[in-house]
Order: sequence, then C-alpha cells, then structure tokens
Amino acid sequence: MAQTANPRAMAPAKPGPTRTAAPMKPGNWPSSARYRTYLGFDLTGLVYLLAGFAVLGAARAFAKGPDAWNALLASYKHPLWILFHLVVLASVVFVGVRFFRLFPKAQPPQIGPAKPPPGPLIHAGLYAAWIGATIVLAAILGGVIL
Amino acid sequence: MSELKKKTFVVTRFDPDKDQVPKTQSYEVPCRPEWKVLDALNYIKDEIDGTLSHRWSCRMAVCGSCGMMVNGEPKLTCKTALSDYGDTVEINPLANFPVVRDLVVELEGFMDKFKAVKPWILRAKEAAPEEGPYRQTPAELAAFKQFSMCINCMLCYSACPVVMQEPDFLGPAATALGHRYNLDSRDEGAEERNEVFRGDGSIFHCSYANECSEVCPKNVDPAAAINQAKLLAVVDWAKGFVVPRKGKK
Repeated sequence: MAQTANPRAMAPAKPGPTRTAAPMKPGNWPSSARYRTYLGFDLTGLVYLLAGFAVLGAARAFAKGPDAWNALLASYKHPLWILFHLVVLASVVFVGVRFFRLFPKAQPPQIGPAKPPPGPLIHAGLYAAWIGATIVLAAILGGVIL
Repeated sequence: MSELKKKTFVVTRFDPDKDQVPKTQSYEVPCRPEWKVLDALNYIKDEIDGTLSHRWSCRMAVCGSCGMMVNGEPKLTCKTALSDYGDTVEINPLANFPVVRDLVVELEGFMDKFKAVKPWILRAKEAAPEEGPYRQTPAELAAFKQFSMCINCMLCYSACPVVMQEPDFLGPAATALGHRYNLDSRDEGAEERNEVFRGDGSIFHCSYANECSEVCPKNVDPAAAINQAKLLAVVDWAKGFVVPRKGKK
C-alpha cells in the first residue's frame, strides 16, 4: 500500500454522507524517475542555500583585506571545496536545462498586444543568453576584459 | 480464438461499512491479448466477484470515468493495454482522492474546485438574442482550444505532488479550465477568475513538477495552463494599480 497523502487532499468543502478512506499518495511516489527528477530539482534549493553562505563568507574575507582573501582562494584548492563547487555547477546546469525546457510553454498566447515568439526561438534565445553571459563573466573573472 | 494468459490483479478493496482502512485482494484473470485494464476489471466484476466497485462508461477515452492507478501510475483503464504489463498488475483508486468504496473516489472536492473558477462565459452585459451568437475567428478559437479538450478524468490531480500536500490548491484541471475561459475572446470574466487564481486556491502553489501534463491522456497540458495563468494573474494584479477594476470605483 502507498503512503497516505494529506487527509484533506481533494476533500469536499461539506463532507458527504458516506465515510471515506484517506487519500493515498501515488504508488510510484517517490520511486519513479520523473518524481525523482522533480525532487532533485527541489533539493537543489539546499545547494543554493549553502552556496549563498559560501558567497557571504567570500564577501566577509574580501572585506577583511588581501590576506584573508588570498587565504580563502588558497582554501578553494581543498578537494571538499572543489567537490562543492562541482555540485553547485551541476545544480545550476540541471535547473537551467529543466527551466529552459519548460519555459516556452509557460508563455501565454498573448499579453495585451504582445505575442511571444515561437517556442524553439525562445528556447534558442535562453541558451544563447545563458552561454553568452557565462562567456562574458568568465572573461571578466579571467581578467581578459575590464 | 486468441490465447488466454493468466494475470494476477491486486486490487484495492474498501467497504466503508466494514473496513477502517483499505486492503488489497488478488484475482486470477484469464486475459485476452487485446484486452485493456478495464476489460479485466469488468471480468472480475462479472465472473469472479460482483462486489467489486469501479467506475466506467464510454470505453473509448472520452468520458473520463475510468481513471485509476495502474501499477502506481494514473491511467485511463479503458485506454491502457494489459499487454504493457507483466503477470501481476496492481490496481488502486486514484491517488490524492478520498476513497468512497474499492476503486471509486469522492468527486465532490474536485467539483468544488471546478465551480470556484466559474467555468462558463462571463459577460459584463449579455447581448440580446436578436444580435446573434458571439462570433469568433479560427485564430481566437486556437488560442484556448487545447485547454478545452479536458475530459475531467482527474488523472492530473492524482499525479500532482502539490495536490497531495496542499488541499487548498485549485489544481491542474480546474486551473486549465479557468484559463481556457480567460483566453476565450467571448469572455469578460478574467478579472474575477484571476482573483480566484491569486486567492485561497492559489495557483502559485504549483511548483511546475509537470506531472499533470505527463499523465494527461488528452494532451491538454495543464502545467502550461497553470504557468500561463500565473503570469497573466500577475499582469492583471499589476494592472490593477494603474487601471481601475471593472465594477469598482
């Protein structure tokens, strides 16, 4: 038997005359690949929370001065930091790809006089913007520009 | 004469007069290769155990009555081929719904959500009959037609991970239907429905799992409807700061 869902799920506002059994979750929850992908998407929130703390730590080190900043950069060579950054990168790519896949169909056929471009064009535009922003940021951080 | 193959069906049983919680019962059914899951259930009902309760009607994926969980996945049983499954098939009532009896679920909660979105054409002022019908171009029809193909089978509610935790969420089919009328060029009730969308049954509970669209047997794509409706509801809310609402001073 599957797990029980929220007891009020899909319950009528006024209970009927017949006693009912509690609603159950889908039997394939959370074992199906689709649900796991969805839960993985939700779990990336935790990764972003940790990444947020890491950025705050970096800002703090930056404010303390060059020694603290250089020490932080040196600590990033530790395997655990490298692993963490790889997890963050994987999370960003996963969420980006999922978001870009679902984004075009979330566009209404019309907002006022404006109509969205065709889905494939939106898709291509999102990827172009993402890749372009990544290249520009990498160039700035690498000291190639600015 | 096609060869019969025996399959075991593990079916949820619940009698509200006797049982505290649902239980399962197994049936051996000699199945024809071309059978759908519904054929096997009807065989059980007709030949093995007349006390089994399940809903069905049209047998051609139009009425939306025979939705059930087949091996944990919401399916229209009249459209689901038995040949896609192994020797054991588990049949449960639609997930996320209270169970009335065996495979029959309570529909009133679903109907409450439907009524909330006012699924009919709302007009500020009805035109006189002599003015004729409200006209619509093919392009205007195409804007909402996809969302009007829903057969109310409720599979989307069964698959939705938000419905299972957020009882007040309007859910996929009701939102798709409300959005369908909001997109209808003959309708003038978008402001009213958008208030419902933003209100108690907020569609913003939706986290775009997209499961509703994955299981929809008619390719209505309720996830698209919900997320389009979210954007339009936000635009409508923002517009309210600049343009006075109709009927309000």
